[in-house]
Amino acid sequence: MAAETTSLQPDVLKALRFPIVVADILRKRNVMKKELLRQANLVPTRIAILGGSTTTEVKSMLELFLLAQGIAPTFYESGYNRYSEDVAFENPDLWNFKPNIVLIHTTWHNISEFPELLEAEGEVEQRVRREMARFESIWEKIHTELGALVIQNNFDLPRLRPLGNLEASESFGRMNFVLRLNAEFAKYARAHSRFLINDILYLSTQVGQAAWFRSSYWYNFHMAVSPTATVALAHNVAAMVKSVYGKSKKCLVLDLDNTLWGGIIGEDGVQNLILGKDHPVGEAFLDFQRYVKGLQRRGVILAVCSKNDAENAKEGFSHPDSVLKLEDFSAFKANWDPKPENIRSIAAELNIGLDSIVFVDDNPAERDFVAEQLPEVAVPNVGTDVSAYAEVLEHERYFEADKVVQDDLSRSAYYNSNAERNAGQSKFSNYGEFLESLEMTAEIASFVPVYLERITQLINKTNQFNLTTRRYTSAEVIAIAGDPRFITLYGRLADKFGDNGLVSVLIGRVSDETLQIELWLMSCRVLKREMEFAMFDGLVEQCQARGIRKIVGVYIPSKKNHMVAGFYASLGFSPVDKASEGSELWSYDVPTTYSPRTRHIRRTAEVQSTVPTPDRESVASEA
Amino acid sequence: MNRDEFLLEMDEILDLPAGTLRGHEKLEELQNWDSTSLITFIALAETNNGVSISPGQIVTCSTVADLLRLARAESRAS
Repeated sequence: MAAETTSLQPDVLKALRFPIVVADILRKRNVMKKELLRQANLVPTRIAILGGSTTTEVKSMLELFLLAQGIAPTFYESGYNRYSEDVAFENPDLWNFKPNIVLIHTTWHNISEFPELLEAEGEVEQRVRREMARFESIWEKIHTELGALVIQNNFDLPRLRPLGNLEASESFGRMNFVLRLNAEFAKYARAHSRFLINDILYLSTQVGQAAWFRSSYWYNFHMAVSPTATVALAHNVAAMVKSVYGKSKKCLVLDLDNTLWGGIIGEDGVQNLILGKDHPVGEAFLDFQRYVKGLQRRGVILAVCSKNDAENAKEGFSHPDSVLKLEDFSAFKANWDPKPENIRSIAAELNIGLDSIVFVDDNPAERDFVAEQLPEVAVPNVGTDVSAYAEVLEHERYFEADKVVQDDLSRSAYYNSNAERNAGQSKFSNYGEFLESLEMTAEIASFVPVYLERITQLINKTNQFNLTTRRYTSAEVIAIAGDPRFITLYGRLADKFGDNGLVSVLIGRVSDETLQIELWLMSCRVLKREMEFAMFDGLVEQCQARGIRKIVGVYIPSKKNHMVAGFYASLGFSPVDKASEGSELWSYDVPTTYSPRTRHIRRTAEVQSTVPTPDRESVASEA
Repeated sequence: MNRDEFLLEMDEILDLPAGTLRGHEKLEELQNWDSTSLITFIALAETNNGVSISPGQIVTCSTVADLLRLARAESRAS
């Protein structure tokens, strides 16, 4: 959740969480907006809403949900149904607005023409192609001219079915046509990185057709989505935007008894736990475990926080029907200590912020205690009915991802192997020997297309080792990668325990013989491994090759990056100036001969790990 | 919903301190009576009371009390 939320009236944020009471939001939106704007450190963004119907409610609700995520939007709204013309004719107001994100709010009403009755399949296919061409021209112009991320509604279903159930099966049926278009939209999304689908087909089924579309709002206001359903739409779009800005949660901390299985392991024993298909409640727990496992597989870190003896707690995972296994968890706290203390310890162990954590517990007293002691931790009110746990987590979209990249799949493995790394340290008399024993290799090179997704993800998620905390959209990263005025570096690090993945990013702007570092960050996974020195070695090499004589480092203090306040000094930079708003400039003269700073990392053309890494080709992402 | 509850709800919709509206206020003179608050009024009438009110009906209202009478009339009719 956003920084500085503790000063907000708690009712404001509560009203925007599950279960949302739409009437409360409608009634109190003005007050809520004023309260949310009081937050500090809001991340600004510019969002253009291009409407195929009236968009005032979309804008109003989207603003609330974005503010609740710590994002402060400025909006551009197209004229009524001008979503296509605004782009095709390069409306100067839109072009000058320079949006970061363009939301195209179209619905089935904006489909140019549906197939005629008994139209041949070939002709229907031509209609699909024409419709796709129309939309693709809009998307591509936005990408190439505005460089913005596109969030495009897919299509909801028409309200009426003149052909009855044949609408679904016949190629000239309207339902069939909508689903074909949606499939084409999805195909486009898979092939393009700066393009996300707002799945209004799903949303309309979630709220129900009767609530989604109301004739009175359409005929009186040309609102294609009713005001109450617009709340769900705005919540969904805000979830995607928050993901793009790196504000999705990273870790799910779970209680055990009556959360992951029915019963109390310490009293009932593993054999009497309620878990499995033979019991209705047991099947619900099984399904919840499957849901959690699915999150873990795509990169959400799992941790346990349970009031239990540790050995009893672990035994629960030996139940034959347990889908989750001990090794799925990157941190495990089973003891009789207060849960807030354990959660703090988990955050420290995993080196993540408390605001990256979601805590799930069936016990309302434990939930309240954690929520009160650790306001940064998200504590959804899951109730006590396990069949609703996943639905509550789903609704809050805590772990929304705008893309799943290769590094996400191996995140748990990294955290688990980190325990091995850290355990090894105690065997060595000095830290240098320990680092040497890791047999680290690093690949440091200019940005390449295959890593741009991960680079963009890191840029928008890294807070602590981040000298400037500048955020870039994927469009901006792509542009910088191809711009000779920039020196770009990424760094991958591996050791004998495994591949840490892409962990560091640097962007420097060249001006004559000077390079100014506009972005330098590193994942906290690899702190104190000398990776920052390896990156600096790579940077100096590039500067020497290009005849750059001076490197200027910029440090912009934030609430989270104090650890790097003295970083440039440690590299031998000299202070130049304190610029505006507390930021600092540091200078380094590039020497003619340079001795690499790294002592314990071998630079390679490719990262080498003795641990097999998953096949990259299996990842469904843009190459 | 009684009269006081309705007025408090209208205070919220129009972003006014609780207890501001008395009912006699003319809609055209209320700063925040715009399309957004009109839609909110219609949506809340539907959500809270199950009544359907059209903009055409609202046009016939000139005061806050007229809105209350409209909402009640629709409620009795439905």
